[in-house]
Amino acid sequence: MSTSAAEPLLALSNVNTFYGQAQVHFDLSITVGRGHIVCLLGGNASGKSTTMKIILGLVKPRSGEVMFDGASLIGLTTPQIVRRGIASVPEARRLFADMSVRENILMGAFVRNDRGAVAQDLDKMLTLFPKLGQRLSQRAGSLSGGEQQMVAMARALMSRPRLIVMDEPTMGLSPLYVDRVLELIRTINQEGVSVFMVEQNASLALEIAHEAYVLQTGRIVLSGAARTLKDDPRVRDAYLGGSEAA
Amino acid sequence: MSSWLDYTINGLIVGNVYALVAVGLALIFGVSRLINFAQGSIYLVGAYIGWVAVVQLHTPLPLTIIFVAVAAALVGLIIERFGLRPLQNSVRIAPLLATIGISFVLDQLVMLTFSPNPRALPSQLPDIRFQIGGGTIGPLDLLIAGVGISSALLLFVFLRYTKLGWAVRAASQDRDAAMQMGVDVNRVNQTVFGIAAALGGVSGLLVGMYYNQIDTAMSLQATLKGVVAEVVGGAGNVPGAVIGSLLLGLVESYGVAVFGTSYRNLFAFLLLVVVLVLRPNGLFASARQAPPEPLTGTFIAPSRPVRIPRWALAVAVAAFAILPLLPVSFYILQTLINAWLLGMLALSLTLVAGTIGQVSLGHAALLAIGAYTSALLSLTLNIPVGLAIVAGGLMSAALGTILISPSFRLRGHYVSIATLAIGEIVSLVILNWESVTRGPIGISGIPPLSLFGYDLISPASVYWFAYAVMVVLALLQSRLLGSHLGRSFRAIRDDDIAARAYGLSLNRYKSLAFIFGGFAAGISGGIAAHLYSYINHETFNTQQSILALTVVILGGLGNVVGAIVGAVALVGLPEMFRIAAEYRILIYGIVLLLLVRFRPQGLLGTI
Ligand SMILES: Nc1ncnc2c1ncn2[C@@H]1O[C@H](COP(=O)(O)OP(=O)(O)O)[C@@H](O)[C@H]1O
Ligand SMILES: [Mg+2]
Repeated sequence: MSTSAAEPLLALSNVNTFYGQAQVHFDLSITVGRGHIVCLLGGNASGKSTTMKIILGLVKPRSGEVMFDGASLIGLTTPQIVRRGIASVPEARRLFADMSVRENILMGAFVRNDRGAVAQDLDKMLTLFPKLGQRLSQRAGSLSGGEQQMVAMARALMSRPRLIVMDEPTMGLSPLYVDRVLELIRTINQEGVSVFMVEQNASLALEIAHEAYVLQTGRIVLSGAARTLKDDPRVRDAYLGGSEAA
Repeated sequence: MSSWLDYTINGLIVGNVYALVAVGLALIFGVSRLINFAQGSIYLVGAYIGWVAVVQLHTPLPLTIIFVAVAAALVGLIIERFGLRPLQNSVRIAPLLATIGISFVLDQLVMLTFSPNPRALPSQLPDIRFQIGGGTIGPLDLLIAGVGISSALLLFVFLRYTKLGWAVRAASQDRDAAMQMGVDVNRVNQTVFGIAAALGGVSGLLVGMYYNQIDTAMSLQATLKGVVAEVVGGAGNVPGAVIGSLLLGLVESYGVAVFGTSYRNLFAFLLLVVVLVLRPNGLFASARQAPPEPLTGTFIAPSRPVRIPRWALAVAVAAFAILPLLPVSFYILQTLINAWLLGMLALSLTLVAGTIGQVSLGHAALLAIGAYTSALLSLTLNIPVGLAIVAGGLMSAALGTILISPSFRLRGHYVSIATLAIGEIVSLVILNWESVTRGPIGISGIPPLSLFGYDLISPASVYWFAYAVMVVLALLQSRLLGSHLGRSFRAIRDDDIAARAYGLSLNRYKSLAFIFGGFAAGISGGIAAHLYSYINHETFNTQQSILALTVVILGGLGNVVGAIVGAVALVGLPEMFRIAAEYRILIYGIVLLLLVRFRPQGLLGTI
């Protein structure tokens, strides 16, 4: 099977999602190009996290298609999707609180069977996230929010994914860690991993993203290159206003 | 006279046995947030498989243990695959009810296969005892300790050093996150059910050998003890379950040393209630930790209730009222009298479990309180029976509510455990409080039903009496449900946090529900006492609590008409088809399983 380089890595097309009677997505279409950072912006309860869950197979859409690397993800279980090469940094990090930092990071390699290479990747994570070195045997639940975010990112990288999906990676972090996390996302991306991230903090996300989509109560209302969106008055009005004031 | 050291040794050995059950419960709770009420049944199955191996196949001891572990694990895998996995996306109550149904089915299958009579299970070990200090210890004690310790070690190694063990730990801490790491949660569930069942089965085998006797009553006892130990240690906490078990074994053993054998279980359940009230997360959880999810949220299947036209209801009520005037057999009247009594209990439970969402598993205790009050008042104080029954209802309302009030702060499955324990405590107090309740002898010669000086002896008069009381209670309850109070009850059931935010006092409303429910159940118990003329501490047992729950689910939780229809169906249908008594419980279990799987909202729908 040949996949052309122009074909997007991930494509959601005309996705409609419901929780019971309530519709959360209306004909949602999003593409993530190979090697790109794509950002999904939107206010509270606009359906951002649900988009992540659709990609990961945690929520099933009522209609629509989700293609990853040329193959449909619809009907696959979450573990199967993970094995296809998608890793996640969930909302609020969701570490295994009673397991050690080391165990948490290694859980990220759960789908791999090459022990030696996994050990090497763990070392690599410690150079990427040097602070975690002294914390390896500590309970993950005892770390600060910023440190937990580092663990969550290291954990996601351990599966050697082609795509990482991140749900509000900067939420609740101190400004110092926010910069650090954005920097790391850029680094990860430069190593060839595509990134799809959800953010409320539009101005920061647009700094590092290639493309962005704006979601409003389940509908994409704007999309395009991050550079152009940054100057788009509609984004300004809708989303940047709040964060600039803050 | 045994020494303290002997009691300590005995406590630790028994604690080891409990640990084998409780660790399985903890593993399952960790991964599925489910209290597996079928765990005791697997223990029972293990004991009987062991009996087959020892007595019929004459296997050597190591082979017996392996044989039991493998066979029990298979049973566990079957339960997980066919009983629970189909319920993954159902309401929270579904898997809990399913394990109750499975446990009924397993217990009854064992009983039908092996007869309910106890059997001897020889220990296969030499009957010698070694002196140590002031006590003695035998080879079987050492075997039990050895199995307990080596199981714990194996489990530790498994959880800490194998990939599947990591998956189990990760899934028990955050199921969704574990899935996002590629963990197959079904496989994890299978694993923990297999391990839990193997340990539980071996535990049953060892207990059978320890007491050289097995019988089918072991099952419920094992579940209860395992749950106590697990909750004391902190639900889902595996090392906690081990420590909780040893503690439980010691508390029981010392309690027996001081007060006597009949107090053994009383200590177990008191320990449970104390821990639930003071530290609902168990002794070893940090104080600030929230109770493990999801013990919150809606606990019942939402549905639109079936609308029954008023005239149809009126016709049905009238038809049953004139039934005794028609040439119906004594047998049919007798059956329907039982249905009306069960109907009253179901009214009570459907209010408590359905309308306000407190799934009580100890409702038979309310019957017992009403029955004993009414029987004793009429017998010793010569109070007229009609009045005594009302007093029974009031006593059940008051005492039942007070006894259950410690569980008001609990939620979801914990309410079920607490009410189960409180029900057991009531029955144990009745057993032990001989000066008032006449203890194990029970109360005989209870005067027959009478009203305003007229004895109700004929089946028709008893029928009318029970029927009229039930109809009145049902009408009152319907009024209640339509009122502001009923709406508050449902608000608490659907979202207790929001209800509290709106300023509803949860304790007050839960009390009101239990007062009304306690009254209805107490009246039912009172009538039953005068009808049976003899009662003892086992007349109103957990099996009846579960039967009432099945009735209520069959009719539709919260549904008044449903409760009565359910009672008539569950009492009447087995009679109609002349099903032998020993198959009935099996059928109730199957009905419960089928309902949970295919019609969780019941026949008439939840309200
Ligand atoms: N499990 C669920 N069940 C029902 N409704 C849900 C569930 N999860 C989210 N929702 C609802 O769907 C909408 C979108 O939620 P979400 O995707 O989490 O939004 P966001 O991440 O943008 O804040 C919200 O209105 C939310 O209340
Ligand atoms: Mg979100």
